[in-house]
Amino acid sequence: MMSKLLQLNQENWKISQLGECAVLMELEEESYQTTKVREVLNVIESTSINHLIDVIPGYYSVALLFKKPVNLHSVIELLTVINWTEKKDSQSQKYEVPVCYDLGLDWAEVEDFTQIEKAQVVETHSSQVYTVAMMGFVPGFIFLDGLDSSLACPRKSSPRTSIPKGSVGIGGQQTGIYSLESPGGWQIIGRTPLSFFDVESNPPIKLKPGDELAFKAISKKAFDHFGNDE
Amino acid sequence: MSKLTVIHPGIFTTIQDSGRFGFGKYGVPVSGAMDIESFKLANQLVGNPHHYPVLECTLQGGAYRFGSDTMIAITGAEMSPAINGKPIEVNCAHRVSKGDELILGFAEKGCRSYLAIHGLLQADRVMDSYSTYTLAGFGGYAGRALKKNDILTWEPTATVEFRTEILKTIDLDKVHSVKVTLGTEWKWLDKEVQEQFFDSNFKVMNQSNRMGIRLDGHALKSPDQQMISSPVIPGIIQLPENGKPIILMKDGQTIGGYPRIAKVVDDDLWKLAQLKPGNSLSFRKVM
Repeated sequence: MMSKLLQLNQENWKISQLGECAVLMELEEESYQTTKVREVLNVIESTSINHLIDVIPGYYSVALLFKKPVNLHSVIELLTVINWTEKKDSQSQKYEVPVCYDLGLDWAEVEDFTQIEKAQVVETHSSQVYTVAMMGFVPGFIFLDGLDSSLACPRKSSPRTSIPKGSVGIGGQQTGIYSLESPGGWQIIGRTPLSFFDVESNPPIKLKPGDELAFKAISKKAFDHFGNDE
Repeated sequence: MSKLTVIHPGIFTTIQDSGRFGFGKYGVPVSGAMDIESFKLANQLVGNPHHYPVLECTLQGGAYRFGSDTMIAITGAEMSPAINGKPIEVNCAHRVSKGDELILGFAEKGCRSYLAIHGLLQADRVMDSYSTYTLAGFGGYAGRALKKNDILTWEPTATVEFRTEILKTIDLDKVHSVKVTLGTEWKWLDKEVQEQFFDSNFKVMNQSNRMGIRLDGHALKSPDQQMISSPVIPGIIQLPENGKPIILMKDGQTIGGYPRIAKVVDDDLWKLAQLKPGNSLSFRKVM
């Protein structure tokens, strides 16, 4: 497995081949470092790189996907000539996301794991400001940074085959939103009536890494009637 | 508009093209034909551009009644295709007439067949691709596998010369061994586990699908080190805690939480598409 260390933006990045058409950039320390990942992501996305078709951020890494096979050395050469010092922080947006916590599916488990009562979990969860870390593993799943550590919960031992669209969940140290109905193993504590993912739009989702998001608790009645007032 | 009616949809038949690129950052997989070689050949045989959408049939092809004269080709797995009960050659163009019935049976060899029709199939184009992604229900025919009585239509394109030769590009007997490069977390594996990986004969499990090929065999000891979710692409072999490797395929997730122990080279991905549950598979190292 060939890899090379490269210093970019005052950080050591390990550059290796993920596939014939893909290169992986990883921070040396394998931990949650989404701010540093985002800085690199922003610079790469605002730079025109030949045959680059997709850039997928992770927690401590970024994958660069190309249209055709690439040579690791030429990509490294390319990365070294990019101007990393120029601040390219794209304008981050703020969103308020209404959540009906009464539509949570796993309250018994969450209360059991955290040893905190539902009302207090809701209070804590809806009083933080979260940052969009990345999207994936399935279309429109939104990984958020900023969960209060008292609310951390292990994933379900047996994942659900189907989780309703808009579900808000906790998985380990993270909280996130299932934009579309999909299988998944996170503990579900509520649902938002907002729709984030639209296959007819390009891009299909307005949120981007770095955007800030806060949850606002709403009643079941408000959830059911959401969007009827306009 | 030319059309055909689905009399029997087979086991899992979807519309696929060359794939949906550039949306991995939103969690959208590439999708597209699992066996890209057979997909391109099918289009070539009927005179279509190589990226046009076709039908991808899995394990059993189904039955289709044509409502228009056209030209078709079937490539990939051998499913004993027949028109009006008369067997036809695979990897070859055929004329069909209005009222003709095409039947594709069970896959005797291989797993996935491709049915190309001369012209542009009318299907949902989502994020620049006609490929069906059933998990999220978009693309292709209403985002799902075909059902009985579905009607497919296509736009006939300029006529092309009808060619009768048989073109063969893949060898279905050679799908049981694939080349791999070592993965990002390969070094996390114990030396014995690394040797075991290349010495093993794995078995393709029933749960394999367009998302991933799941392998059974002598379980590989997974590393103690915990993995933080990281980007993944088709061909990557993940090793979950149960020690049974999963090879990510075209509908695979974009972020994975298991060690990436190896990657099947792109040129061999078509082989995995032609593996049936129960088939054996082994890995060879390159580079």
